[in-house]
Amino acid sequence: MSGPHDLGGSSGGPIDRSGHEVEDWERLADAINSALGSKGLQTTDQHRRAIESLPDYLELGYYERWAAATEKLLVEKGILSQAEIDEKAGEIERRWGGS
Amino acid sequence: MTEFAPGDRVRVRPAGKPGHVRTPGYLKGHSGWIEGVIGHFPSPEDLAYGLSGQPKRPLYRVGFRQADLWEDYAGATDDHLYADVYEHWLEPGGKE
Repeated sequence: MSGPHDLGGSSGGPIDRSGHEVEDWERLADAINSALGSKGLQTTDQHRRAIESLPDYLELGYYERWAAATEKLLVEKGILSQAEIDEKAGEIERRWGGS
Repeated sequence: MTEFAPGDRVRVRPAGKPGHVRTPGYLKGHSGWIEGVIGHFPSPEDLAYGLSGQPKRPLYRVGFRQADLWEDYAGATDDHLYADVYEHWLEPGGKE
């Protein structure tokens, strides 16, 4: 079964070569990924599989995929529950949200 | 301990396999040759699910003619593409 990532050889239209500044949350997503890896809680192979199986893969940006896949793996492994993640995300949103 | 040796003609298995795969779709069903044996590694397709990936699988460097992969390939006839393919994705044969 080919996932949405398996695009080699298909025509994808023009490539956006404009620069992109790495945002703080993206650095954080990267750091969390490294930390989980060094603690043996997640491997690159598992993360890759989780990324490729995201239902909204094509709509997400690079680190959005990373974060969504990490969340999926942590729930799958029973390390965090979806409710715990949603609660914490809601708390952070209230603290840092625009309003 | 490998099924194939450098120079052997091989075909990438055309059928899909459920789950996480490490062989790109554009190679499936296409024939090439064994360029070299890279080594034996735990299967990343199993590691992806938290399994052991054992027994280790031979990983080959497989050569393809670009013109065999792309219908409208306009480059030189001896342009090649090399891909790393695990043994369980390969079967013997395929025309020259």
